[in-house]
Amino acid sequence: MRTFCFHESSCVRVVLSAAAAIMQIGILTFVPDAALAHGERNQEPFLRMRTAHFYDVKWSTNEIPVNGEIVVTGKFRLFPIWPVNLPLPEAAFLGNGTPGPVLARTESYINGVPAIQSTKLELNRDYEFKTVLKGRVPGYHHVHPMINVMGAGPLLGPGNWLTVTGNESDFKLSIKTLSGETIDNLETWGLGRVFFWHGLWVAIAIVWLVWWLRRPLLLPRFRALTEKGGDRSQLVTSTDRLFGAGLLVATILTVFFGFQATDTAYPRTVPLQGSRATVEPLPEVPEQVKVVVNKSNYDVPGRSLRMNVTLTNNGSSSAQLGEFLTSNQRFINHEVSQAMATVDPNYPKELLPPNGLKVSDSRPLKPGETKTVDIEAADAAWETERLSSLINDPDNTLGGLLFYYDEHGKRTISNVSGPMVPVFTDPDNRTAENPKGGAG
Amino acid sequence: MQGGTSVRLYGLEWPKESARISRVFDLLVAAILFLAVSGAFHLHYMLTAGDWDMWIDWKDRQWWVTLTPIMAITFPAALQYVFWTKFRLPIAATFAVVCLLFGQWINRYFGFHLWSYFPMSEVIPALLIPGALVLDIALLLTGNFLFTAMSGAFAFALLFYPTNWFWLAPYRLPVEVMGQLVSVGDYISYAFTRTALPEYIRLIERGTLRTFGGHSAIIASFFSAFVSILMYLAWWHIGMLLARVVTTPNTLKNFMGLTDKDEPAEAAQKAIDGTSLQGRSVAAE
Ligand SMILES: [Cu+2]
Repeated sequence: MRTFCFHESSCVRVVLSAAAAIMQIGILTFVPDAALAHGERNQEPFLRMRTAHFYDVKWSTNEIPVNGEIVVTGKFRLFPIWPVNLPLPEAAFLGNGTPGPVLARTESYINGVPAIQSTKLELNRDYEFKTVLKGRVPGYHHVHPMINVMGAGPLLGPGNWLTVTGNESDFKLSIKTLSGETIDNLETWGLGRVFFWHGLWVAIAIVWLVWWLRRPLLLPRFRALTEKGGDRSQLVTSTDRLFGAGLLVATILTVFFGFQATDTAYPRTVPLQGSRATVEPLPEVPEQVKVVVNKSNYDVPGRSLRMNVTLTNNGSSSAQLGEFLTSNQRFINHEVSQAMATVDPNYPKELLPPNGLKVSDSRPLKPGETKTVDIEAADAAWETERLSSLINDPDNTLGGLLFYYDEHGKRTISNVSGPMVPVFTDPDNRTAENPKGGAG
Repeated sequence: MQGGTSVRLYGLEWPKESARISRVFDLLVAAILFLAVSGAFHLHYMLTAGDWDMWIDWKDRQWWVTLTPIMAITFPAALQYVFWTKFRLPIAATFAVVCLLFGQWINRYFGFHLWSYFPMSEVIPALLIPGALVLDIALLLTGNFLFTAMSGAFAFALLFYPTNWFWLAPYRLPVEVMGQLVSVGDYISYAFTRTALPEYIRLIERGTLRTFGGHSAIIASFFSAFVSILMYLAWWHIGMLLARVVTTPNTLKNFMGLTDKDEPAEAAQKAIDGTSLQGRSVAAE
């Protein structure tokens, strides 16, 4: 069993690959960075609070055998107050954040459109996604849905631990080509030709090298070239030239006939496909509850975000504030049963802060009503997830989604965003070590 | 003639023992050079043509075909200068690309396949050996770097696509995935995902060459061949610059009381006096 996750083991991996790099210094080969590429906690908070907000994410199961399937579904909204230093999502790709291809992706869709190509996405719009993953490498893997945005990098959704059991060698991904060939396993497809052709040319190259290396090499040749009495005609003989000319002709003929034979063997091929998909966003739903942030503080010692917001219900049904979502952390208002009911039992616990969301007045907003409330999202996650480092950001603006429910359980979503003012000390003598406060 | 104690090598007389040591030296240098060129060429190649060479779904008919020979002819050209002008050895290009291929296979198998779980079918390196053989033999037969550039460097790029088509074709068979037409190579890289290298980063036949229809590989090859001639000439001269042995006197050695064996102690003291006047005056009590 191999257990890797970006944030748990990225340090280990960096150290190991540094060691590997040192071991390989003689041949200077690279350890690929795909597996070291990111740790979600190392991503800047602005990137995690104001880009893609994933919600309703569901995993069909948490454990599969090799070749078994997991279907990941969910939605994401691209936040309208997109960081100014990031390019707009002109080209985006639905990815899955895994420690290497431990799962094979067999299908993926954004709003029903196949996501094998990249696509343009729109801000302040919602998209539905679906990814089908097939177990490949046994182990305990942290897997995230993810949107890659050109110029902005990977925008990670919630990560979940998935267990793959069984034997790696049993893995198989088969497909039938349109030209009639049956590919038993894509992992090994075509390797016979690769090994044959590479091996053949390496063998020919070695013949050519040995032809020259078998004779005294460096100093004798150098002296023969530079010193009086050296016989240059022995350095390159007419036999050498003849052999060279023969090899030249043989090389060109082999390449030419190899090419011809390949074209005959595979008459129907297609070039790589590099177009862009067109994806329409989900129908726009008017924002039922207007949110105005009057004041927002991040209480450093208390590790809590406090906001004073004015909410106006412009809809025709009531609206009760049930959840605040930011950086994949779901702060759920425990007083709202509809909000509590949305939590899937498979949902990762570390993304559900236990204290949830505290709202000074949780009563539903009646249609047309305006109310000013204090909301508080307190959790150690602000520190452990390094979200509090927003204090060090030149664009100190937080962002998230607020979820409301009406009396029938119907949900509406509002964006919430505002500057975040840190509070470093407070009258209760609370500290990061002693968040409850009191005489210290 | 000293009979059994000496040998003639290329017209010059060598004591047998020297000839034997020189042969050991040959093998040592060859082994060291093999690793050094593998490392340096591989690094250079990764930084310039890296992703194109790395992934089965990057090897398009335009950018891959154009860039790879241009970036790959560099080390062969520079080494050809040294190997040919100093030793009359027409093997530099072949040697360089064999080193490169060795580094690549090690890297792909251990780094990408075993360590990062990519299937080998996703990470096969391109093959450059036929072009390199032609480049070497062009130098052998013409004995002239300009003619080699015009014939050998040109052929180096032209042979690239047909050489690789032999093993690449199976990865360009059409498949239907989710109701869409893609090539097997596209699907392999889609299935075995790269977290940090999304689809849109690929450059798949972007540019006006595509208006030439199915012939973009041929046109790209010819374009690459012309640029390869220029690259060859430039890197031949880089090889010339790098081959100049530049030494500077090691004064530090003298400060530390180390002198060359054949250097009289007096001369060494003079060297110290001459180079460390300032140091001495500052240190004087
Ligand atoms: Cu993770």
